[in-house]
Amino acid sequence: MQSIISKGKNIKEAIDVGLLLLEAKKSEVNIEILQQETKSFFKLKSKEAIVKITKLEQNPNQEQPYKEEKDPIKLMDEFLHHIPDPGSESLVDLKPKPRPAPKSNELAGKVWVKNGELFCQSSPTHYPLVTIPDGVKVYRNEQLITEKSFVMTDIDFYEVQLETEEKETVWKVVMDPHKLRVELHIEPGYKITRSLLDTEPAQHIELMIDEKKETYNTLSYQEVMDKLEELRVKHGFHQNEIVKAMDAAEPGVFTIASGIEPIPGTDGWIEFQINTETQIGPRETENGRVDYREMKTIPNVESGTVIAIVHPPIPGQPGRTVTNEPLPAPQTIPISVQSGRGIAIIDNKIIAIESGRPHVEKRRSIAKVSIMQKLTHPGNVDLSSGNIHFAGDVEVLGEVSERMVIDAEGNIIVHQSVNMATLTASGAVLTHGSIIGSDVSAGKNNMIVTELGHLLGPINQDLAKIIQLIKQLMLSPGFKASDFSRGGLQPLMNILLEKRFKPFPALVKEYVETVKRNENYLSDKVWAETAKSLSQLFLSLSSEAISIGWMTELSEKLKELHELSQMPVEPNSYITVPNVLSSRLYCSGNVTILGQGSVNTKIYAGGKLTINGALRGGEVFGRFGAEINEAGAESRTPTIIAVPGDQKIYINKAMDGTSIKIGNVQYKFSETRSRVIAYLNKHGRISFE
Amino acid sequence: MIEFSMKEAEGGTIIVRLNGDLDIDSTEIVEETLLPALENYKAATLNFEEVPFVDSSGMGLLLNVVQSLKEKGVHVMISNVKEEVQFVFELLQIPEILGKDTFI
Repeated sequence: MQSIISKGKNIKEAIDVGLLLLEAKKSEVNIEILQQETKSFFKLKSKEAIVKITKLEQNPNQEQPYKEEKDPIKLMDEFLHHIPDPGSESLVDLKPKPRPAPKSNELAGKVWVKNGELFCQSSPTHYPLVTIPDGVKVYRNEQLITEKSFVMTDIDFYEVQLETEEKETVWKVVMDPHKLRVELHIEPGYKITRSLLDTEPAQHIELMIDEKKETYNTLSYQEVMDKLEELRVKHGFHQNEIVKAMDAAEPGVFTIASGIEPIPGTDGWIEFQINTETQIGPRETENGRVDYREMKTIPNVESGTVIAIVHPPIPGQPGRTVTNEPLPAPQTIPISVQSGRGIAIIDNKIIAIESGRPHVEKRRSIAKVSIMQKLTHPGNVDLSSGNIHFAGDVEVLGEVSERMVIDAEGNIIVHQSVNMATLTASGAVLTHGSIIGSDVSAGKNNMIVTELGHLLGPINQDLAKIIQLIKQLMLSPGFKASDFSRGGLQPLMNILLEKRFKPFPALVKEYVETVKRNENYLSDKVWAETAKSLSQLFLSLSSEAISIGWMTELSEKLKELHELSQMPVEPNSYITVPNVLSSRLYCSGNVTILGQGSVNTKIYAGGKLTINGALRGGEVFGRFGAEINEAGAESRTPTIIAVPGDQKIYINKAMDGTSIKIGNVQYKFSETRSRVIAYLNKHGRISFE
Repeated sequence: MIEFSMKEAEGGTIIVRLNGDLDIDSTEIVEETLLPALENYKAATLNFEEVPFVDSSGMGLLLNVVQSLKEKGVHVMISNVKEEVQFVFELLQIPEILGKDTFI
């Protein structure tokens, strides 16, 4: 079928031209109006009429339809050059222009791109196919083609729309809250222009796009300087970074000014003049055996020896912001030294005024130094020697027999076994012989401090609430504070304790009683003092007038004590023994069983629990994890190993029936398992590594 | 210092109108005059309309009066409490101590 597109000032003219070109009569063709003409006064926006005229098939024997077609189309082309092109500038107007070369047979049914324009030549047997890539829009007779590929004919109008992208330069200047750094964030502007790439004639082509990106970084030096002045930046400019940002072709962040960070100082510290390493204990020999005779002991000091020098804190150096303001260095904390027994502090020197073992206990920035006396008991501790209570270290060269008690403010060392006895030490407990049926406690003072700290937390919270409430009450318009001057806060306190703070006295009572019960272990008087104040305020109905200032002072003191109690003490106590049977071990620090192991014993370790041998029966707990060589009993006596939720349990061989507990989650081994490393996963279940 | 006037109502109820601050200076009059005067009634309503201020001793007195009358079988109600005074009562949870239905 032969058809042409014809244009004219109006429909009639377009048809007449078309019929002339086709050498056909009106009755021999099919006419389709593609565009009506529109008239405009100045002819500027006027559009001509476009029609499509198809010659109806009359002569099927026609051999070379294309040959005949050539001339009319050539004429058409020429004709079209004479009429004004109405196409818009942004569109590449692609009229079906058949081949520039006359090799019609080669090009028949093919499509190509030349000089950025799309051409095709249909053939009776094949229509060319064009695939549209993403980001390209093709219009057929002003209708957007939505298909991915389309069949191209030379009787339709095709327009390919290629978008150009343009973006302006975007930038901002950001200063950090500490005014130590000014950053310039820049995204340079750009323009992307696209054009169609030439494609060789083919039956099927994909349109190919050429993309050109040009960067326009419009940032100016003056703009940056103006912004910096607006931010009052006066100090630490980096000119070269500003220049780099102005030259940037890609988005980026440039530090264009920076201040000087303050240099932190050093907190106060104690410099020891003697060896104070307190981790004494038996050592493992090269063949893996434990030699209990090889003990590392601390050298005693003679009276008059300078034990340590106290250094004041060294202040840090202040920094400077970009706005030229000084930045103070973090506050440094001096170390506070409390002199215990046998210690004098002269100027910045800590001096022993008695002979003995220097003992240092540190909690955060408070250090307590004292001289421990040592009592060496040459034989057994039994009915003939009596119990031992000593304010220092106790060393027993023999054994400790039934129902005897040793109580020491320092360490306890027993060279032979301990049978059905009670050992209590503020420091460490170390035995060379087995412990059978005994109660052993080390670092009890530390544990009491921890326990009191737990009680003080809620007490102080309530006390702070009570103070807050009284302050609020005194501001209330309906309240008269007139009786405070006469009766103090007592009448008000009675009302508060009646309901609002009903559980409070019970907490206070527990605290006061715990302090009283353990008075001997609490060397620091502040515990007893606060207990007295609390009991005066909340337990007794003393007539002494209590002021809000007094309560605030007490609250401050409690807060300090509470914080102090949560600080780890250095060095902590420990228990180190070869074997233990049917006993109870209680320690604020590490518990280590070096020999055959632990049988039916209850162990609490505030530090890490280590059992080199076997754990058979009993309940053991390690606050900082548990490491056990072999756990479980043939007799299936319950064996439970517990640690907090954030700790791990290591067992080289866990027999079936052994239970482990991590946090509140329990697990029981149903078969013997080797090399167990158990922990709580993020879903709160016990997992094995 | 507080003053009060009493008026009997139906059903053995006595209505007491309090006038003045309920404070430490009211101790004597409340404990020695008011409390004994109410003991023989079935129910008593304390009208707080004319009580502009309270102090902690005064609230202690109030708790004492209500609780000792309850023990003697006298049902006590407290009415017309001023907003400022009610705020103080609530800070100290007095309604919770006496039972919320005491306040009308």
